Amino acid sequence: MTSSSRTFSQHTSLSSPNAPAVSAHNLTKRFGDLNVLKGVSLAVPEGSVTSIIGASGSGKSTLLRCMNLLERPDQGELAIADEAIRFTRNPQGDITGLDRGQLQRLRAKVAMVFQQFNLWPHLTVLGNVIEAPMRVKNRSRKEAVALGEHYLERVGMADRRDAYPAFLSGGQQQRVAIARALAMEPRILLFDEPTSALDPERVNEVLGVIRGLADEGRTMLMVTHEMHFAREVSDQLVYLDKGYIAAEGSPDEVFDDPCCQRFVAPAA
Amino acid sequence: MDFSWLSDPFYQEYLWQGFVNTLWLLLVSAVGGQLLAVGVALARLRGPRPLAWFAAAFSSVIRGTPLLVQLFFFYYGVGHLLEGVPGLRETWIWPLMRDPFFFGAVTFICSVGAYSGEVIRGAMLSVPPGELEAGRAFGLSGRQVLVRLWLPRAIQLCLPTLTGEMILLLKSIPLVSTIALMDLLQAANIIRDETFLVYEPLLLIAGIYLATTVVLTATLRLVEINFPGMRPRSRRWLPVR
Ligand SMILES: Nc1ncnc2c1ncn2[C@@H]1O[C@H](COP(=O)(O)OP(=O)(O)O)[C@@H](O)[C@H]1O
Ligand SMILES: [Mg+2]
Repeated sequence: MTSSSRTFSQHTSLSSPNAPAVSAHNLTKRFGDLNVLKGVSLAVPEGSVTSIIGASGSGKSTLLRCMNLLERPDQGELAIADEAIRFTRNPQGDITGLDRGQLQRLRAKVAMVFQQFNLWPHLTVLGNVIEAPMRVKNRSRKEAVALGEHYLERVGMADRRDAYPAFLSGGQQQRVAIARALAMEPRILLFDEPTSALDPERVNEVLGVIRGLADEGRTMLMVTHEMHFAREVSDQLVYLDKGYIAAEGSPDEVFDDPCCQRFVAPAA
Repeated sequence: MDFSWLSDPFYQEYLWQGFVNTLWLLLVSAVGGQLLAVGVALARLRGPRPLAWFAAAFSSVIRGTPLLVQLFFFYYGVGHLLEGVPGLRETWIWPLMRDPFFFGAVTFICSVGAYSGEVIRGAMLSVPPGELEAGRAFGLSGRQVLVRLWLPRAIQLCLPTLTGEMILLLKSIPLVSTIALMDLLQAANIIRDETFLVYEPLLLIAGIYLATTVVLTATLRLVEINFPGMRPRSRRWLPVR
């Protein structure tokens, strides 16, 4: 369970009919002299939940951000929501392998929930939720509002649709951010430590929403420090250590893996 | 104190003209200046190298020289140069170019553009990058992120500074009396010259300025508190549960 080669053999065919929703092969990413991802391969099957755990600075956020190209990998292959991209460098050293249309299409199918919520403070709750469906997916205002109200209802924030984010608690803001992601009707949901910026008493209301989404069978890739939660909701766990996948598999396998014992021991 | 001249319809007409011109100049300079300011900020942050450099030089020159000197520069210098442009006299722009109002407006638009441009640039840099990143993550184009998220958010952040600039602008406008534009100060000057009363006309226009400032401040304050995101604005904004 500890080598990434096994995982790769499972998803060499990047575009077969029942390909995984996310399939990354040998992604590398460096910031200057710092090698943050050193060849990471990962597959998230359609309708399943994968959690990424690991110490701070191990590259979890960077890996997640590669999935919607907020970071552009230096090398490797990424197949995500039917968009296959092979990152290479041209002779000038620029990263190639991605055209603008593809970037737009990919981002419309992959929605992200951020640690710091990143709601738009000058838009109302509903305004935040309908913005991208209207501008990116060209939904009419009426459609977008219907969609937005539906998902605000889903996260229990429908009664605050006209409020501005600054007047909400952290937990409420994060639930709105989840509704904003859902309103894109994405193929894949990405979560980057969705509860790390919350007051402890607000964590559960957000975890509850995420658990509900997992139960619905949504495809999710999540970075989290909530070990109990990760163990409960995940179909697959990935333990990232200094830019490598040090262990992966079912939650029980990973929690029992000696190389991540030290990391998860206090919580397990 | 002798205010008997106030009943003279000629002086009333001067004062009214002066008041109207002052407000017009304020409005034109404020709107034009803020538009230019957005342009200056964008050019400095996102423009191609030469444009960014030009915008930076423009800000430095305008902010580093006295407003009165700029006014004279435009009115006497540029105005005189324009007279020499062949064919210009026959065009529709010509009457505009003879009007001191035109040069006053150009001067103030440049001034507001430079000062507010720096304010807006600073505000754009202080918008939390995560908010813009969220826009990109959801697939908004660079232009959409700029127009829908970055600029409105920056303006929200610096709105009190921008409205403060407008109050300062109002009080710079009497400078145009030096280029024979009939503003409030020019009206007071004429009344002084004809009645030999120094303080009374000045007192009157000072009062008008003060009243205008109070009204302007209150109006801009309304704009500030009604700017999207600045107050709850919800029919049911109190926590329901
Ligand atoms: N944009 C960036 N520029 C330079 N270094 C970065 C950047 N983003 C992340 N890093 C560095 O990469 C490493 C991994 O970061 P990150 O992926 O955020 O880790 P994690 O989410 O696991 O805590 C850290 O050392 C961080 O300082
Ligand atoms: Mg992180």
